[in-house]
Amino acid sequence: MTVRPVHERMLETLVAEGGRVASRRGLLANSAKLAGGGAFALAALATPGFSRFALAQEDFEDDVDVLNFALTLEQLEATFYRDGLDFFGEEAFGVDPFDESIFERLTEIRDHEEAHVETLTSVIEDLGGEPVSGLRFDFGFTDATTFLATAQTFETTGVSAYDGAAQFLSDQDLLTAAGTIAAVEARHSSYLNLVNGVLPFPAAFENVLTRDEVLEAVMPFIIPADGTGDDDEGTPAT
Amino acid sequence: MMRQIHERITDVAERPATRRGVVRGAAMVGGGAMAMAASPLVSQYRALAQNETGDDIISVLNYALTLEHLENQFYAAGLATFTSADIEALGFLPGVFDFIAEIGANEAAHVETLTTVINDLGGEPVEAGEYAIEDALASADAFIATAQALENTGVGAYTGAAKFLIENDELLTAALTIHAVEARHAAYLNILNGESPFPDAFDEPLTPAEVVEIASDFIVEAEVVTPEAAAAEDDEEETEGADDSEDEDEVEDEDEEQDEDESA
Repeated sequence: MTVRPVHERMLETLVAEGGRVASRRGLLANSAKLAGGGAFALAALATPGFSRFALAQEDFEDDVDVLNFALTLEQLEATFYRDGLDFFGEEAFGVDPFDESIFERLTEIRDHEEAHVETLTSVIEDLGGEPVSGLRFDFGFTDATTFLATAQTFETTGVSAYDGAAQFLSDQDLLTAAGTIAAVEARHSSYLNLVNGVLPFPAAFENVLTRDEVLEAVMPFIIPADGTGDDDEGTPAT
Repeated sequence: MMRQIHERITDVAERPATRRGVVRGAAMVGGGAMAMAASPLVSQYRALAQNETGDDIISVLNYALTLEHLENQFYAAGLATFTSADIEALGFLPGVFDFIAEIGANEAAHVETLTTVINDLGGEPVEAGEYAIEDALASADAFIATAQALENTGVGAYTGAAKFLIENDELLTAALTIHAVEARHAAYLNILNGESPFPDAFDEPLTPAEVVEIASDFIVEAEVVTPEAAAAEDDEEETEGADDSEDEDEVEDEDEEQDEDESA
């Protein structure tokens, strides 16, 4: 099977998007929209045809391609939590509305994302594919509040990414495995909504994002692998 | 490594408040349907119209609808039984009741949408049944504990059944948009029950047989549909009679240790 690394395509997308790539600030402003988009899914679900879902039919080449897409997001998340928790430390976060340490919960989430990276990597290898590697990220950490808002955006985007990409898996076991991860991303998202004062379940149906929508959302945090010549820039993926 | 969802459910089931007066025993009744068999239960096998292509798909959607009916009726009854003051008396802030009401509204939307979709596809949606939820509503505490069990079961059910929709991209995607919301509910209800919202890095898929066994504790009389493809998968494991439960079905009592696949 031909495996075309996801990051290669991401870079193409980046070029194609040109100056249109959302700024980090804009992305955060969009998090409410991402979290609240379920009304559309309801409308789509109640409508035979699901035209929107059908639009994305050519998005992925094969199962490995889908898994590498997922792995890209998981690497982003794992790196984000790993570095962010180191950067801010425990005291920066305080407690959630139920008096539990937010830092402790974030640590659980980080561990999950790392487990997802590990599992996806080995599954891709088992399938004879090449796991995406060499991604570098720049999160520009500033304060804990912004960190939590970004975390919410990542998790919500992650759920929607899995929901949008699952249809491209052709293997039942892989589909089930993806579902076991998507559910955990949804749990994370639910919690981060709560911590950020947003309803944990803003709609009866999750929003679905296409591959391109997801890439556009995360692109501001990914440093192009070439063209900078600066090895010190950004944080390598976990 | 992974904490089994069954353990959590069993934990809840063992709480006295949610234990009594339940209907148990699930018997396979051929062709992809599971019927509850215990008095005063009336088993009913829904023979879906043997129409062209849709039987498999419709059985999966009806499986989902079977569960959503249970959840929906449970919340409707619970929200009518308890007030925000009852929830606050457990030590929660006033907003918690409203959040639970939101969950109830989501389940109602799932019922409505699944019913519409099944109708649109030419199928016959299962209807709501009669549910054994008095014990679960004996106290606000039991209500919240049972809600947690149902939501976590719901996530596992969707996770396990998604593969039966693999040939239908649109319905698979739609089912996953519900799956995620059930996971959101489960996370929140875990918190209300003093547990981690996300106890494992991977959620656990449940087979229809496992789900039916759990759900049967809450059913007096209801049509229960399971995916036809699941019955086909189980065929080698022959089931005969109500208490000849095969390996995968022992979800109930105490320390059932997990013999099943490591959930991929």
